[in-house]
Amino acid sequence: MRIGKLARVTLAIALALAFEAAGVTAQTAPATLVVQVSTEPPGLDLTTSPASAIAGVVFDNVQEGLIKIDRTGKMIPWLAERWYTTDSRNYTFFLRRNVRFHNGREMRAADVKFALDRAVNPETKHPYRTQYEAIQDVIVKDDYTITVSLKKLDATFLYTLARQGSVIYPREAVDSLKTQPLGTGPFTVSEWVRGDRIVLVKNKDYWGKGLPRLDKVTYRFIADPNAALAALKAGDVDVSAFGIGPESVDELKKDARFQVIVGDTTNDVTLSMNNSKKPFTDKRVRLAVTHAINKDEVLKGAMFGYGKILGSNVDPLNPYYVDVSKRVPYDPAKAKKLLAEAGYPNGFDVTFRVAPQYLYTVRSAEIITSQFAKVGIRAKIEQIEWPTWLSQVFCLAPCQNPDYEMSIIGHAEAWDIANFANPKYYFRWDNADFQKLFAESQITVDDTKRRDLYVKMQQMLADEAPAVWLYMHPRLMVAKKGVTGLWKDLPLLVLDLSEVSWQK
Amino acid sequence: MATLAVTLLLVSLLVFLVVRVLPGDPALVIVGIEGSAEAAERIRESLGLNRPLIVQYGDWVGRALRGDLGKSIQYDVPVAGLIASRLPVTLPLTLMAAGFMALAAVPVGLFAATHQRRWGDYLAMALSQVGVAVPAFWAGLLLILLFAVKLGWFKSGGFDGWGQGALPALKSLLLPAVALGLFQFAVLARTTRSAVLEVLREEYVRTARAKGLAERAVLFRHALRNAMIPILTVAGIQLGQLMAGSIVLESVFYLPGLGRLAIGAISARDLPVVQGVVLFVACVIVTINVAVDLLYGVLDPRIRYE
Repeated sequence: MRIGKLARVTLAIALALAFEAAGVTAQTAPATLVVQVSTEPPGLDLTTSPASAIAGVVFDNVQEGLIKIDRTGKMIPWLAERWYTTDSRNYTFFLRRNVRFHNGREMRAADVKFALDRAVNPETKHPYRTQYEAIQDVIVKDDYTITVSLKKLDATFLYTLARQGSVIYPREAVDSLKTQPLGTGPFTVSEWVRGDRIVLVKNKDYWGKGLPRLDKVTYRFIADPNAALAALKAGDVDVSAFGIGPESVDELKKDARFQVIVGDTTNDVTLSMNNSKKPFTDKRVRLAVTHAINKDEVLKGAMFGYGKILGSNVDPLNPYYVDVSKRVPYDPAKAKKLLAEAGYPNGFDVTFRVAPQYLYTVRSAEIITSQFAKVGIRAKIEQIEWPTWLSQVFCLAPCQNPDYEMSIIGHAEAWDIANFANPKYYFRWDNADFQKLFAESQITVDDTKRRDLYVKMQQMLADEAPAVWLYMHPRLMVAKKGVTGLWKDLPLLVLDLSEVSWQK
Repeated sequence: MATLAVTLLLVSLLVFLVVRVLPGDPALVIVGIEGSAEAAERIRESLGLNRPLIVQYGDWVGRALRGDLGKSIQYDVPVAGLIASRLPVTLPLTLMAAGFMALAAVPVGLFAATHQRRWGDYLAMALSQVGVAVPAFWAGLLLILLFAVKLGWFKSGGFDGWGQGALPALKSLLLPAVALGLFQFAVLARTTRSAVLEVLREEYVRTARAKGLAERAVLFRHALRNAMIPILTVAGIQLGQLMAGSIVLESVFYLPGLGRLAIGAISARDLPVVQGVVLFVACVIVTINVAVDLLYGVLDPRIRYE
């Protein structure tokens, strides 16, 4: 009978596959690393797109800046060996010598000038162009010396040079940055299989002594958290950089094959209120909302206790961080009283618009909804797709009016307190006093004075409650035992693999 | 041929409009919440999204007719090349799933039909009931847990290309193909069972038995052949559904196939890619339907096309 023959053939193939399986398991040689990330970068050009997925691959690994932010958040000399300024208006940088781009050519001052001029030029529309607005002129003194003069004081100037938008690349390769970015970094991009993986290989001519320690890094794009977990457990990936949910941490901690790295980030999970819409135009209502939320419970329920409670828009990794979370504590009785004073003795109805792609936002909203019920606020949760969230809630121009009452999302950028000084931001909070404070902090170079201003801003945000800062999203990274050199905290969004290696 | 062209033109118009009615703007997805309005505007300009819709559509169809599906927003490479690069994953995956479906479903259905209302029938139908009830992504995860995590026989996913040899490539598609084919197997097994039962009640089957033919000959030469028309109709539809189902399983097994390309493109609002993939799949399904129609003629010589 024909079917019997088929069954035999099928069995033979199955057996062949099973035998062959034995040979494949030992595929991870010590000098290679497979990293799982959730999001594939939309192109690889840091100078035209702000997407954090690009930084995760390219920044610090393939391209570097004059200054680097290290694993503790400190700014350290990098492609610039040192610099000086006497008036905080003219900065002179001395470039490191014998630094070669991936195409073999030595990095010169002219490349730095090209990169900075291009960032300033409105024609090229750098994603962070406003950060370079203070730059007046970039002057090449010689091949290894360059002076940048500023129109006005800018306290964030050096920080801007340390950010992902300020990477230095060879002038001649500017047109291929999106697909084949060249730089000075410890790795080069060897292969990009769209939709599947990006492979980086060691830059043998890297200027940093003994670095990188890995020969090859493969980024695997696995968006589904269950698939990522299974890949990790099956041994097919070595590191899950951002993809593991808090619900899996305890289980993985018990597993002897893995290490779970729990660290801090600059990601402030923020409950936003549309300050241009009633009832959130009333400060008493916003304070009542804050008093109504038990953040400890939210952190326990949504994040299994990982993360840190916040009281304002400055994260614990920021050098100017102060804890203001006790200024408006959990106090349902006070929340009720404030609501009554504001003319809402019976509470009000409100809708959360959240994107389930970021599951923690939905989980947090669910817990907060039940807490709201205790003070009479009747909240509904509407789940929308991320692109919809971006165009309707986040509402960048030409969008005029953000279409939401309440939402939750993590604001991952460091130093993003600036958003509250921008009345057009989707919070729609327009407070002249805060805007003045922020503008002053931008031109205050003295560290002590600048710190004072930051403390004042944090207190003011807590007291005015234009939003509720719920918690700092933890860094939850899982790696196979034996992988060393990964960053514990994330003072900025990078995945620096230069010092990562396998322990013998 | 004319209806074929009209169908495809309608599909192209529909997909073009649908992706534009969706809220969300590809430029915004690219810049994310760290972005500025200026950065988004720059991207919009460079993508030509500022032009009137009718101009955009005319431009797209005109180019598509010449085989040019435009450039991907995310990747900055031609869409046609992107689709072509995914076929070595999706095509064998779909064919393997179809093979699994057909090779398992027809015998099981036949067995159930010939053992009607006996334990074998109940067992086969219970099996197919499970197949219908279990969602494909869950079946995929269970297979990963068993064969990759527990037993370590297979990788949990990924596809390293045909360059590494046919056997490893086929192997990495085996689990997803089984998970993908499971649901369709169940449906086809039930279809086969009822189609064969139907035919077995026919007069000519009784005649065949009466003239003393062996039961096997009755079954294969008379019953199954005549039951093939409904089976083939369902299988043809299922082939299209398998392609759609690959969207889910390619995500679970992180395979770089057409389905994952589509889903990534939808969430990135990569409009040219979404349009290109849908148009391509529509072409494939139309072709399958034509092929099924032609096969009717082979199975039943009475069916002729003018």
